[in-house]
Amino acid sequence: MAFRSVNISERNFLNRLDIRLILLIFCLNVIGLFNLYSATHGPHSNDVEPLFVQQIVWLLGGWTIFFILTFLDYLWVNKIVWLIYILNVGALIYTDLMGKVVLGGQRWIDLHFFRYQPSETMKLCIILLLSRILVNRNPMGYGMGLRELLLPAVLIFIPFALTVKQPDLGTAMMLMFIGGTMLFFVKIRKSIIIFIATLALIAIPLAWKYGLKEYQRNRIFTFLSPDQDPHGTGYNSIQSKIAVGSGKFFGKGFRMGTQSQLEFLPERHTDFIFSVLSEEWGFVGSIIVLLTFAFLFKVCFEISLQARDKYGALIVIGVTAYIFWHMFVNIGMVIGLLPIVGVPLPLLSYGGSGMLTTMVGLGLVSSIAYRRYLF
Amino acid sequence: MSEYISNPDEAREFQGRYRTLYIFIITIISIFFMRLIWLQVIQGNELRHYSEKNRIKQNKILAPRGLILDREGKALIENLPGFEVIVSPQYLESIKDLANTVGPILGMEPPKVIEKIQRSKRLNGPFATVRLKDNLSREEVFRLKRIRLDTPGLEIRESILRHYPLKENGSQLFGYVGEISKTEIPKLNAKYKNELIFAQSDIIGKSGLEEHLERDIRGTDGVSFIQVDAHGRETITEIPNIYGEQIKDQEPTHGNSAYLTLDREIQEAAYKAMSSRGRIGGVIAMKSNGEVLAWLNTPAFNPNDFATETPTKVWNKLTSDPFKPFRNKVIQDHFSPGSTFKPFVALAALQDNVITDKTTMFAPGRFYFGGRWYHNHNKNGEGYVTVYDAIERSSNVFFYHMGIKLGVDKMYNYISLLGIGQRTKIEMAREAAGRLPNSEWKKATRGEEWQPGENLSTAIGQGYVTVTPLQMAIAYNTIATEGKVVKPFIVKKVVDHEGKVLLERFPEIVRDITLPQPNGYKIDPQNFKIVKEAMRRVANGPAGTARALKIPGVQIAGKTGTAQVMSFSADQIYSLCENRPIQSRHHGWFIGWAPWDKPEITVAVLAQHSCHGSSGAGVVVRDIMETYFKKYHPELIAEGLKKKDPRAKKAAAAAAPADEE
Repeated sequence: MAFRSVNISERNFLNRLDIRLILLIFCLNVIGLFNLYSATHGPHSNDVEPLFVQQIVWLLGGWTIFFILTFLDYLWVNKIVWLIYILNVGALIYTDLMGKVVLGGQRWIDLHFFRYQPSETMKLCIILLLSRILVNRNPMGYGMGLRELLLPAVLIFIPFALTVKQPDLGTAMMLMFIGGTMLFFVKIRKSIIIFIATLALIAIPLAWKYGLKEYQRNRIFTFLSPDQDPHGTGYNSIQSKIAVGSGKFFGKGFRMGTQSQLEFLPERHTDFIFSVLSEEWGFVGSIIVLLTFAFLFKVCFEISLQARDKYGALIVIGVTAYIFWHMFVNIGMVIGLLPIVGVPLPLLSYGGSGMLTTMVGLGLVSSIAYRRYLF
Repeated sequence: MSEYISNPDEAREFQGRYRTLYIFIITIISIFFMRLIWLQVIQGNELRHYSEKNRIKQNKILAPRGLILDREGKALIENLPGFEVIVSPQYLESIKDLANTVGPILGMEPPKVIEKIQRSKRLNGPFATVRLKDNLSREEVFRLKRIRLDTPGLEIRESILRHYPLKENGSQLFGYVGEISKTEIPKLNAKYKNELIFAQSDIIGKSGLEEHLERDIRGTDGVSFIQVDAHGRETITEIPNIYGEQIKDQEPTHGNSAYLTLDREIQEAAYKAMSSRGRIGGVIAMKSNGEVLAWLNTPAFNPNDFATETPTKVWNKLTSDPFKPFRNKVIQDHFSPGSTFKPFVALAALQDNVITDKTTMFAPGRFYFGGRWYHNHNKNGEGYVTVYDAIERSSNVFFYHMGIKLGVDKMYNYISLLGIGQRTKIEMAREAAGRLPNSEWKKATRGEEWQPGENLSTAIGQGYVTVTPLQMAIAYNTIATEGKVVKPFIVKKVVDHEGKVLLERFPEIVRDITLPQPNGYKIDPQNFKIVKEAMRRVANGPAGTARALKIPGVQIAGKTGTAQVMSFSADQIYSLCENRPIQSRHHGWFIGWAPWDKPEITVAVLAQHSCHGSSGAGVVVRDIMETYFKKYHPELIAEGLKKKDPRAKKAAAAAAPADEE
């Protein structure tokens, strides 16, 4: 990396904003809204669906928070991160005990104007808390040992266990992936990695037998051979593949996707939003979205690298991991590479908690970019 | 608080890890990229095809079956528009919910609805539609339409209901239609290979002409393509049809119509003549050229009950009826001809010069032969009789002599010329051949020699000989036309929906038996004339067994007969037939033609368990002929009425009840 000296006074307010980041997010938002409009409006509806209007409201709220966070120094978060974590764990416990049951999972707290999903904000919470803790965990650069890892592991495990219990395996996995990525980034000793890997190999069969519910096991079976039960558990996977493939190179056109418009695709405004996009915009549209994400990750890494402090760098890594893992699991599932797991696609799927969490995370990234070193 | 990345070593290490992460991400995105190429570019066409299959549903547009009309174009079988309710099990959310909502509307018990759907799923698989009920009332259609949108998998379709305006009349001839069963599909597809294609839920002819004419009257179903959503509901959108021209809807082609030789008026008169008297049996009326005018059997079933689902009660009643309402007795069953066989024996005797029309024989009340008594139906006997008297009064003893003199093999040789013991080859399935015995036959089937006593029973139409009503009509028609054996037929022509005649049939004479036949035998016209005169006297002579049968202006010729259902001892023979339980009463026969000298119509009636030939079966024949002549020759009737003076009429009426063999 070339070191270049820039006079700070040359930089005005707009110059300090990372415009690329903002444009990429905005791009995904626009694509997302178009796509959501198609997914939520049946072949004959002329009225605008309330669902779609709500998403616009979340989006406007998200951008407001994004800019507020951009202009605040992210260090303030440090002061309250423990408090947020504790409150969030409290909310998770509350959810487990008396939350709203939707689609077989107890995931939401009904706030009347908004169904709050504590496991969603927990992802961000973990990022912030781990960033704070990990800043000092590897002073000598040898990598973290068991002692250093104990506290982060416990902090990840508590919300993980609570989310598994809901049961929401997808979100719980996300917590683990995000936390794991951050730990990896700070560096873990090789011996520990081998130890954990061995532990995992032993744990997987046990988890399969005792930890997973029947429907979760079925999903994995279905993933391995979806054609065995095309009208039962394999239905979603097959219909999604048909939707994606039938889009061919250029797609069927806006609101012309028969798989989504005629309801062959399930959950098309949330988990299977990418199928809608692939069906209607084809290979071209799908690739544009993938590339946009790739650019976003690239920009994020650059921001992380130029962060003013290690704390900021870690937050950006966490947020990037958050978006990436969601994208990985969601698109992987939609195109039939991964089992069906209920994980939304950030910035494209419908959902208030997800949208706000993503925008808060990206707001922090923007804030870090605003305060980055420029040599 | 925060730690800056000031250490250059650490900064370098960080950079390495950034690279690792970024390479990982790029790898994942590349895998996705390749997967998308696989799905959208390489498999694109195939998956597009699947998505089209998802949304485009083929709907069969039923083609109406052709009409079946009488010789004047009056409907014998027609189509009525109706509605039916169909269920597609694959789209059902819950069979139980459906049964609970639809059951009460259709007046069906919910468990029965469930059973019906489950049964179809078991038999025909989960994708076959189930016809819950046919012929819906307007009220039912209205109520179903209201719940349709909330009930995926439920459909109301226009249907075509086969309707039989004659109801029970002729039902064994016309047959009925029903839904094809799973086992019938491969059978019929093999039978009509390259001609017709049968598929699930098709309506096919199950018996009678409906079955026989399948090839001619079956239409070609059309196809319409509709777009459905995931719940099987029809949806309309502007989404273009990627198949374009290829999947244009196909209009159904109406089945061809068949014109029969039947005359609906005569058919109805025949049914009335049988049913109003409570007669059981078979009726066949035909023109002398072989065109069938009326054909029916009693008791009968109502094919309209079979056009929709047959109630079990109706079905049980029909199948347990001892008089077999499903049998087409006119061709499928064979009976003893009784005395109606005598004219054939007379022909044989005359032709073989055993007798002439002048020969007289003494005919007492009973006859001793071969160590036992053979009885006459008339205890007192007929005295000295000629062949005219013997037929007019149906003398048994006269014909016992003929039987002895001719022997069975000669009788066989002559009488087989008339078609007895052979199928008439009418275009209907399952025709019985009947039986005309000879000594060879007996040896081959029973392993015994022919007994001389059997000549006697054969000569009066008892014993081994059996005939179908249609055979008798043909044989009598041969006498009427003096030697012309015709081929009976019932389908006159087949006409497509544009009126083009596809097939037309004309009367056909199978053989003229006044000319020597392959077996070396023939019957000369003058012998026919003798027997015809004798048969005229049956209905017109002073002692004729059927002298009650009169039509003003038209003379009937024919012969009565009673066929014993079981053997009786001597005293039982003369006991009153009506006093016996119905199933042991004699069958009554009457076969005749008119006018006697210029035959136009020949009618054969078998009235089972009616005891008498003339009053049992003859009256039916008379009614049918009267209808025929009133319709086609009103001038003959009018002339007849004019001639008859009132006093003679009264006298005739007083003498009328006299009857019989």
